[in-house]
Amino acid sequence: MTSRRRALTWLLWLGLMAAATVFMIVAGGESSRGEFTQVHVVLVYLLIVLGGSATGGRALGVTLALAGVLLIDFYFQPPFGEITVGKPLDWVALIAFLVTAIVSTQLLARAQAQTEEAQRRAVEVASLARLGSETLSAGRAEDALAKVADVIRQTLEMNECDIVAWNPEGGFRRGRAREQAAAEPLLQSVVDTGVISWVRFDGEVIRSRTSRPDDPQPPASERITRLLLPLSVQGRVVGVLRLAAEEPVQIGPSKRRFLDAILYYAALAVDRVRLVAEAEHAEALREADRLKDIVLASVSHDLRTPLTTIKALAQSAAMQGNTAAGAIEEQADRLTRLVSDLLDLSRLKGGGFAVVPELNTAEDLIGAAVRQTRGLFGDRQLRTVIDLDSPALVGQFDFSQSLRVLCNLLENAARYSPAGEPIELGARRDGDRLVFTVADRGPGVRAEDAARIFEPFFRATDAAPDTGRAGLGLSIARTLAELQGGTVEHAARPGGGSIFSLERPATEVPAGEVESSE
Amino acid sequence: MPDADRILVIDDEPQIRHAVRDALREVASNVDEAANGAAGVSAAVTGQPELVLLDLGLPDMAGVDVCREIRRRSAVPIIVLSARHSEHEKVDLLNAGADDYVTKPFSVLELAARARAQLRRAKSLASAAASATPVAIGGLLVDTVTRKVTRYGRQIHLTPIEWQIFATLLGSAGRTLTHQQIFDAVWDREFGSPQQYLRVHITNLRRKIEIDPASPQIIITEPGVGYRVELPR
Repeated sequence: MTSRRRALTWLLWLGLMAAATVFMIVAGGESSRGEFTQVHVVLVYLLIVLGGSATGGRALGVTLALAGVLLIDFYFQPPFGEITVGKPLDWVALIAFLVTAIVSTQLLARAQAQTEEAQRRAVEVASLARLGSETLSAGRAEDALAKVADVIRQTLEMNECDIVAWNPEGGFRRGRAREQAAAEPLLQSVVDTGVISWVRFDGEVIRSRTSRPDDPQPPASERITRLLLPLSVQGRVVGVLRLAAEEPVQIGPSKRRFLDAILYYAALAVDRVRLVAEAEHAEALREADRLKDIVLASVSHDLRTPLTTIKALAQSAAMQGNTAAGAIEEQADRLTRLVSDLLDLSRLKGGGFAVVPELNTAEDLIGAAVRQTRGLFGDRQLRTVIDLDSPALVGQFDFSQSLRVLCNLLENAARYSPAGEPIELGARRDGDRLVFTVADRGPGVRAEDAARIFEPFFRATDAAPDTGRAGLGLSIARTLAELQGGTVEHAARPGGGSIFSLERPATEVPAGEVESSE
Repeated sequence: MPDADRILVIDDEPQIRHAVRDALREVASNVDEAANGAAGVSAAVTGQPELVLLDLGLPDMAGVDVCREIRRRSAVPIIVLSARHSEHEKVDLLNAGADDYVTKPFSVLELAARARAQLRRAKSLASAAASATPVAIGGLLVDTVTRKVTRYGRQIHLTPIEWQIFATLLGSAGRTLTHQQIFDAVWDREFGSPQQYLRVHITNLRRKIEIDPASPQIIITEPGVGYRVELPR
């Protein structure tokens, strides 16, 4: 309400009260004063107090009530023309009037405040609903941001609003709304400023106040011309909301509360824009991935078919005494391993391996690893180190993938350690873990290589140029272990050589579940 | 002296058929060939081969369907040739009636050995399915009637559940039984112990019957698929 209208209202009701007083004095004078009782007077004043507080608010209501008390006492209670109370019953009338007037003024004021609050809420809810629908319905990402910005601008009565959203892969999107498109823009279109970065990374709210000295700045309602607010979703700042007004705008408690709510929605809008972009990106990636799978599958099939033929024919020829055929078979095997390694690596990176941790025994895994690497070791000694007298070591792990880890480690050990030295494959319980180890007496790993031996295609700096594999064994082993939530570690072996270990969680078999002796 | 009179190779690649024929020269006198699933199924039924080698990735039918179709009409052993497939697929194939599988590229010797094992298994099933004579395997003597297992005259005590597992695997010696097939055969009889402990039972069983339990020779693990008892040669 403007102050002019407020003054008019006060004048109107005070005038009305004066007029009513004059009328009642005159009317009372004509009739006998005894007939025109205090009751009538009190009721008339009550009506005026109620009317005043309904249109002019609490202050006017209270003023009218106090004036009423004085007027009743002065003009309508004996002794007339004096501010003194004669009979005790007159006290009762005065106090009853005052209490009734004040209480009804309070009730009215509260009801009105609630109505106003409800109206404001309705506007807020409508704005938020519009915000939601604009966000969801806009086609392009920038359009969605611009529409959201416009709703915010209108609700907060600012001249300009824009939303700057960062793309995960760099750059930003900007949606802006302006009151008058033709006017000089208040917000710079250059977004990449230090201020914005500051808001983005420090999550700071920046308020720019007017510097006019006569501008009252009560702490509860600042008057501002610029506002920069970080937009965050789940603790992550996803963008910045900028507001600008030509004239200082007051951000009172209700606007501030609305701002908090609207910020959350704006942040969601920004996030949704990002998600849409990501979904489009993911769709493209999926398509590329599908193509890659098709290519890999056909490469796999197309390479294996000739390799199968070459290997089979070479083997038959070797059995018939052709000495060169052995070399052909060996090379075919090598090519086969390379193809499988490459396929494995690409499938591992693409998450194409399912991991199913199940209850398994260490002995079963060790036995399978020994069997699978038989061909590799030939005459060489592979020693198994496992306690066969204690109850079986049981753990929770994916059998096939753990087996491939151990086989890769064994193959690595066989390649790098001297032929005369046995390789040890062991399993033991260490606290709540099962630890599988592959120990060799090879040259060990040089300190400068230690961090890199698990990288794909890594080859030790002093390795022989032709080790028969593309340097993928350890990388695949570690990735497979990581898929299960574990890892493969390397340590120097006391007395020379290396120890590679794989840890998996151990499990207890409840007593009585598995009887092994009668 | 070949082990079989007639075997069938189902493969769409002529080179692979050639390689397989070459590899099994010593094993079979005649090798029939089929270039697709439909022809393979009908050849498996009409030609009465003693063994079928089935390559996956045929142009007209899924390998599992070919397996199931052949198995529906014939008890002929089936060995699947596959480029490395997932364990899941292997389990499906075994459940669909395949007897064994060999991964491409395969070793000629390995393929011949597997083929011979299947032929032997089929013959032993045909001749003396319920033979009362004790079975000799890996230095063990197993009497399936009295349920006695002895090594060099010394009796080995197995728990009832260990015996059931061993007997189930022995009954299908030479075949890989999937975990599910073993569960169904053994736990069907309610031993009260949860199925997840199969692997622990196998480990305990190996400790009793294997010479080196850390390098088992009698009960072989097929990773991610199941277990197999090797047939005595």
